[in-house]
Amino acid sequence: MDTATLHTDFAGRRGPLFGLALRTAVLTILTLGIYRFWMKTRLRRYYWSSIRPGGLPLEYAGMPLEKLLGFLIAVVFLAFYIGIVNLILMFASFAILHGNVTAYALSFVGVIPVIFYARYRARRYVLARTRWRGIRFGVEPGAWGYALRALWHWLLTLLTLGLYWPRKTFWLEKYRTDRTYFGTQPLVQGGRWTMLIRPFLPLVAGVAGTALLGLAAAGGGLPLLLGLFVTVPLTLYGLAHWNVHAFRRLTNAKTGGPVRFEARPRVWRVLRIYAVGWMLIALAYAALLTLFAVVLGALTAASGSFAAMSPNEIIEAIPRWAAVLLGVAAYFSVFLTYGVLAHVFLRLPIWRHYAETLTIHGADAILPIGQRARDEMERAEGLAEALDLGAAI
Amino acid sequence: MTLIHVGTGAQPHDFRAVWLDGHAARAPEIAARIEDGPVPMLRLAVQGAAEKAWPLEEVRRLPDQAGQGQIVLTHPSDPLARVVVSEPEACRLIAARCRNLDRAPPRRGLGRIALWAVGAVASVALIILVLVPQMANQLATYLPPEGEVALGQSTLGQIRDAIGDGSAVGICETPEGRRALDEMTARLIAQTDLPYPVQVDVLDNELVNAFALPGGQIVLFRGLIDAAEHPDEVAAVLAHEIGHVVNRDPTRTALRTAGSLGVLGLLFGDFAGGTVVLFLTERLIQASYSQEAESAADAFAHGTLARAGIPPGALADMFERLRDRSGEEPGVIRHFLAHPGLGDRIAAARAADADRAEVYRPALGEADWQALQRICITPGD
Ligand SMILES: [Zn+2]
Repeated sequence: MDTATLHTDFAGRRGPLFGLALRTAVLTILTLGIYRFWMKTRLRRYYWSSIRPGGLPLEYAGMPLEKLLGFLIAVVFLAFYIGIVNLILMFASFAILHGNVTAYALSFVGVIPVIFYARYRARRYVLARTRWRGIRFGVEPGAWGYALRALWHWLLTLLTLGLYWPRKTFWLEKYRTDRTYFGTQPLVQGGRWTMLIRPFLPLVAGVAGTALLGLAAAGGGLPLLLGLFVTVPLTLYGLAHWNVHAFRRLTNAKTGGPVRFEARPRVWRVLRIYAVGWMLIALAYAALLTLFAVVLGALTAASGSFAAMSPNEIIEAIPRWAAVLLGVAAYFSVFLTYGVLAHVFLRLPIWRHYAETLTIHGADAILPIGQRARDEMERAEGLAEALDLGAAI
Repeated sequence: MTLIHVGTGAQPHDFRAVWLDGHAARAPEIAARIEDGPVPMLRLAVQGAAEKAWPLEEVRRLPDQAGQGQIVLTHPSDPLARVVVSEPEACRLIAARCRNLDRAPPRRGLGRIALWAVGAVASVALIILVLVPQMANQLATYLPPEGEVALGQSTLGQIRDAIGDGSAVGICETPEGRRALDEMTARLIAQTDLPYPVQVDVLDNELVNAFALPGGQIVLFRGLIDAAEHPDEVAAVLAHEIGHVVNRDPTRTALRTAGSLGVLGLLFGDFAGGTVVLFLTERLIQASYSQEAESAADAFAHGTLARAGIPPGALADMFERLRDRSGEEPGVIRHFLAHPGLGDRIAAARAADADRAEVYRPALGEADWQALQRICITPGD
C-alpha cells in the first residue's frame, strides 16, 4: 500500500452518539444550562475521535472547566455591554425615532464586530485543543484583524447584493488558513478567488430566477409563479452545490509544505442526507407527540382524584412556580430534542460523508513535523459561547 | 462469559500498538506487553528511548471516544503521550484489569473558576439590580412624551397577542360603554397636569387586572369591571393607574426590563430568543412596582378621587374585594397585592375618606354604569 496517501475512516455510529447526546442534553436541562460546557466537550471528543485519517483518530483535548471560565469572563463584559448599551439604544430609538425596531437593529449592528472577533477566537481555541498523531494544531492570534476584514468583506457583499460572496469566502478562508498550523508546519491557502465563481453560479441562477419571477408576478403575471417550482428547488440545490464545491476547491488548494489534501464530497449525497434526515426528525417528533398524547390520555382516564376535579381545579392544584418550571422545561425540551435528533440524523451523516471523502497526499512529509507550544487561551471560546453563535458542538 | 485470569500466574500478553510520543508526528508501531508481577504493568518498547512501564492501576483511557475496536491510553507521567491499542485481546485485558481506566484526571484551576463565578454573578447582579434601574429611572424622566407613547403602543400589541389564544385579545368599545368610560376618565383627570393624553381601553378578558403602560395607555380587563360592585370602585382603580402614569412608573419598568432581560438571556443561553419575549410580557402584565411607587399612586388616587367628589374609601373597598377573591382566582391585580402593606393601604384609603368633597357624586350614573358593565357585549351578539 502507498504509505504517502492517507484515506480517512469515520468511526462514529448513531446509537452511541444518540446515547451521549441525550444524556448530556438531559443533564444540561437539569443544571439550567451549566452542563452545556461538559456536553460540548464530550460531543466534540466523540466527533473528533470518529475522524481517523490514516486510521489514527483526532483527539479533542479541551476541558469543560476552561470553557466555563471563559464563559464567565465573557459574561462580565457582555452583561455590561448588553445591559447598558441596550438600555441606551432603546431609550434613544424611542426618544428620537419613536419605535423599537431601530433599537434592536442598532444593538445588533453594535455586536457584529464582536461576533467576528468571537468566531475567530473560538476557531483558535478549538484548533489549539485538537491533536492528531499527538501533535497540536494551532492558530496565530489575529482576531481583530479578522473582524475588520470580515466587516469590510460583508459590507461589499451587501452592497453587491451578494455577488461578492465568493471573493469574501476566499479571502476570509485564506486569512484563517494562513494563520493555521499543524505542529510546526504552517498551512497555506493556495488558489485564487476566481476558482469559487463557478460553484456559485447555480445559486445565483436560483436566487435571481426566484426574484425575477416574484417581480413579474407582482407586475400582474400571476401564472408565472408556477416557475417557482423550478427556481426554488434550484436555489436549494445551488446552496448545497456552493457549500460542497467551495469546500472542495478550497481544501484541494490548501497545502502544508509538501502535504496536499483532496476532498471529494458530493452534492447529491449531501442533499440526500438532509432530505432523509429531516424526514426522520419529523417522524421522530410525530412519534413523540403521539406517545405524549397517549400517556396524558391514560393518566387523565386512570386518575380518580383528578377525575373528580374540573380542569380549572386541576390547573389551580398545580402551584404557580411548578407550572412555570414545567413550561420552561417543556420549552427547552423541544429544542434539546431537536438538538439530539439533529446530531444523529444530520450532523453525524454529514461529517461521515465529508470525512470519508477526504484523502491526504504526500503524507510522508508529516512524520518529521514537531510539536508546538500549548496555546493557553484562558478565555477559551467564552465570548462565542455567551453570544450563542450557533456552533452546535 | 470468558473467565479472566487476574493476579500472579496469568500469562503476559504481547501485542503491537501505535505510540504517539507527543513530540513529533511519527506514529511508530511498537511492541507492547501486559504483564503481572507485584505491580501489574503495561510495558512499551519505545524506539530510541528507555522502555516505558506504566502501572496498570494508573493507566487511563480517553473518554467519550467513537468506535468499539480501539482505545487510546494515557498516563499521568507523560501527559502528551498516547498509546493507540487496536488488538482485540489487548483491548479486552486492559478493560478488565486497569481499574482506574475511566477515572477523571485531577482538576486544576477550580479556585480561579470559583473566583470568576462569584465575580460574574456579582457584576451581573450589580448591573441588573443597581446600574440598570438607576439608569432607567434617570432616562425615563428624559424620554420625550412621543417616545413614551410609541413605547406604550408597541407593548400593548405584544400584550394583546400574548394573552389571546392565537389571536390578539379584542378591545371592548360599545359606543355607550366607551362614552361612560371617557366620562369617568375625564372627571378624574380634570384637574391633573398630564404630559400626554390618557388613553383607557378595556380588554375582553376575564382576568381581574388593570395596568398602566408607558405613554398614558391604561388597560382595564373586563374581569375587573365584572368584579366591581359599584362604579366608584372602578374609578378608584383607574385613579390609581393614572397615578402610575403621572409618576411614569411604567416607563421606568419598560426601560429597566429592556436592559436587564438581555443580560438574563445571555446567562441562560437564549440570546434574544423566545423566552425573553414571553418573560417581558409577563413582567409588564404582572408589573409590580416598588412600595414607594404604589404608595405614591395610592396618594395620587386619594387626592384625585376626593377632588372629583368620589369617596377615596372606594379604593379600600376594591382592595378588600380583591383580597377576598385573590385566594380563589389567579390573575388578580398583582401590583395591588404584591406588597405586605395592604392593610396599611386600606387604612390610608379609609383615612383619606375624611378629606372628601362635601358633595358626593357617584363616579357614574346608573345608566352609564350599566353601559360600562356591558362594554364588551356588542349588540349583534
Ligand atoms: Zn399600582
